[in-house]
Amino acid sequence: MKIGSHELKLEKRVTLSGTEAALISVLAIFFALALFSLLFLLAGINPLIAYQKIFSYAFANPFGLPLTINRSIFLLLCTFAFIIPFRAGLWNIGTTGQLYAGSLCAFGVVVAFGGKTFNSAYYSPALLIPLMLIAACLGGALYGAIAGYLRGRFNVNEIVVTMMLNFISFWLVSFMIKEGGPFMKSGGEGESFGLPASIFAPLIKGVPFTIFIAVGLAVLLYYMFAKTKIGYQIKAYGLSPAAARYAGIQTLMIPLLVFIMAGAMAGLAGYHYFAAVPGVYKIPKNYGYFGDLAFYGIICGLISQGNPIAAIPVALLFGGLSVGGRFVQGELHMSFGVDYALLGVLMISLVAFQFFYRYKIEWVKTKKERLDVGILR
Amino acid sequence: MILEGIKRGETVLEARGITKRFPGVVANEQIDFEIKAGEIHAILGENGAGKTTLMNILFGLLQPDEGEIIIRGERVKFRSPLDAINMGIGMVHQHRKLVSAHSAIENIILGHPRAGNILNLKKAEEELTELCDRYGFKIDLKAKVWQLSEGEKQAVEILKALYRGAEILILDEPNSALTPMETEKLLASIEAMARDDLAIVPFITHKLPIVLAISQRVTVLRRGKVVACLETAQATEKSLAMQMVGREVIFRVERVAVEKGKPILQVENLSALSDKGFQALKDISFTICEGEILGIAGISGNGQQELVEVLSGLRPAQGGKVTLDGRDITHASSLERWQRGIGYIPADRIHVGSIADFSLVENTAMNYFFDKAYSRGGIVDYKNLRNLTEEVITEYNVAAPGPDTKAKNLSGGNLQKLILARVLSRNPRLVIADLPSQGLDVGATEFVQNKLISAKKGKAGVLLISEDLDEILSLSDWVAVIYEGRFMGILPGEKAKKENVGAMMAGVPLKEREV
Repeated sequence: MKIGSHELKLEKRVTLSGTEAALISVLAIFFALALFSLLFLLAGINPLIAYQKIFSYAFANPFGLPLTINRSIFLLLCTFAFIIPFRAGLWNIGTTGQLYAGSLCAFGVVVAFGGKTFNSAYYSPALLIPLMLIAACLGGALYGAIAGYLRGRFNVNEIVVTMMLNFISFWLVSFMIKEGGPFMKSGGEGESFGLPASIFAPLIKGVPFTIFIAVGLAVLLYYMFAKTKIGYQIKAYGLSPAAARYAGIQTLMIPLLVFIMAGAMAGLAGYHYFAAVPGVYKIPKNYGYFGDLAFYGIICGLISQGNPIAAIPVALLFGGLSVGGRFVQGELHMSFGVDYALLGVLMISLVAFQFFYRYKIEWVKTKKERLDVGILR
Repeated sequence: MILEGIKRGETVLEARGITKRFPGVVANEQIDFEIKAGEIHAILGENGAGKTTLMNILFGLLQPDEGEIIIRGERVKFRSPLDAINMGIGMVHQHRKLVSAHSAIENIILGHPRAGNILNLKKAEEELTELCDRYGFKIDLKAKVWQLSEGEKQAVEILKALYRGAEILILDEPNSALTPMETEKLLASIEAMARDDLAIVPFITHKLPIVLAISQRVTVLRRGKVVACLETAQATEKSLAMQMVGREVIFRVERVAVEKGKPILQVENLSALSDKGFQALKDISFTICEGEILGIAGISGNGQQELVEVLSGLRPAQGGKVTLDGRDITHASSLERWQRGIGYIPADRIHVGSIADFSLVENTAMNYFFDKAYSRGGIVDYKNLRNLTEEVITEYNVAAPGPDTKAKNLSGGNLQKLILARVLSRNPRLVIADLPSQGLDVGATEFVQNKLISAKKGKAGVLLISEDLDEILSLSDWVAVIYEGRFMGILPGEKAKKENVGAMMAGVPLKEREV
């Protein structure tokens, strides 16, 4: 594009610093919000007021903020479940299935200790909570291991396997909690029994302790990829399986390993939502909604470019906007799906702006007359 | 015929003052070049001299920042290769761009303006057969591309360009993947085309004899500039190499006598299967001792890759025994072999030997991450690795801005130097060098060969696989020839000559009395 004696030119980037990447993401967010304003305008709503309501509810409201935080913890754990295989060049589309498997195992622990029948009885939280966490991790890990093993041993496409496993576990949950199922609430109602109050996850200032697990894991995973031998091997495999094999890396094991880790992360996400978020403490009727939410882990993982620390603000933003979007929809009497539409626009914009990770726009002085025709006669 | 209105000796293409800059480098600087109808004008240059950039500019894949291209007296500007093709420029890429599941003829007419929605294969076949006869291409036009040899695939690419009406033919490294026989046929075809007043521009990095044999003029590029443009008759192999590299180059690295030591690698009756389940190796037996280079000659695809993979632990042995320093390693993992002292330099340096998106430090780590000195308790010691990388970069003259550069920013020769540095700095007992100088320019080839010799002097055993017979004959203490997965014979280096080795390469086993 030419403007006066200057010209806008697209240049390939050789390097991209962390601040540049962050700046591009921030620009993408503003672009998405500006684009989404059109929808508010069409509905006859002042976008500035709408955004003010969304953000103040999500991040500064005594009712909204806890929702945002709980949702963000969930998203963050789901993001890890995507990132770990992603760094190994593999796509985990099965966070949903893995988190169901983990949740069922965690609730299974409670059933094994008789917690289903005597709702008011006292159970030692010091024993049961760690057991539930471990069971959630193990359940998710085992469920993830199926895809990892098939990929490593037989080179079966992990996307297809994880996606199919999602359906299996969705109906398995249904079987377990609906009428006649082993985890059924006494009297039915299509949801699971409620956890005894004694083993509700401890809250710190109203926030479940899982927040420390999630943030701690972000740091741990970052360290794993940056410094450890296993992190090095995962990255090498992700960038070039043939080169990894040449270097003596056990290439059959890497897919299994990353899917075990991913499954454990998803299992924790399941524990967090069904056993630690205040007011839930059961596998509710609409458990499918949380399973669907887990897919945003993929988006958050892609936007944060596989960086577990960068995933924290991304998950917070997505958590906040989905909570705020849902709120503003009711508040301003808009039609259904504002939160999903908002997340969708944000997602497209963030992905589109990744173009600028590879290119930059340069403002250069035009040199001499350029020939604009193909062949001069 | 397709060739009309060209007069022999008329300048058909001229490039004036071509300059192209990329961030940080000037790939082409004020390049002038011209070619006449019926002329073969070679462009010579090392890797990174700017050949590819110039080629892409001439074919319309890149637009020059400055300068102009003139075709038959008309100033042109190519927006895309389509413009170039319409102006009669044809390009034969080094890496073939053909649809392998389609037949040769389907590939040739793909995208041809006359091939409408309904294909007239019969007419095309007649015309193509005529072209084949005229220029001596012997290919089955109905065969699927995957069934063709490298030389035949190249012929398909040339035919495709000619059928589109190319009058100026750009050939990128025309002989890089060909056997000596195929090369001869190609040269004959090129000369026949030049007789028909086509202008031919081969781009070549190495194989100077071919330049001398067929071209009338040579333009030599170095660091993006034209350093010489001369009549081939006035050039010698030595003078061209000197202009390319900028210093004197020794052509034949001499065999050095080193006192033979204990046996390092013993291979007995080794056999293995190929990826497709065919018998790729049958009854291979040999021994490599300290201070010896065993060179394996053979036309590519006769089991060399499988042999290297079995020895480095990447492919299971089907039968036989491999011992390293007296220890049975037939079923050892590839990691164990690294730790026991096998150093493997793979043929595919871009996809196997290095990781493009890794920094040089992380690339060096590929052969060190498992060493106690560089990782303790599961934590990689990147600081130490960084020091090591800096050391080897200096020692092996790897031209790179620094250890944090990504490997994809290195040229082929520098990447190979880095791989060599990484492998040889481990002081391996056995070096497996698979096509170590393939695709490298003369300067880098000399460097690689000297490093293999110094490994040999350092009491290592070296297994050298090469498709370049000159390289095998000049470096090896023993020459083995592989044909269809079997050794046709093993000769001591001084008795191996082009004639007897060549016969074995064609599948004639060595008879005892000839030794």
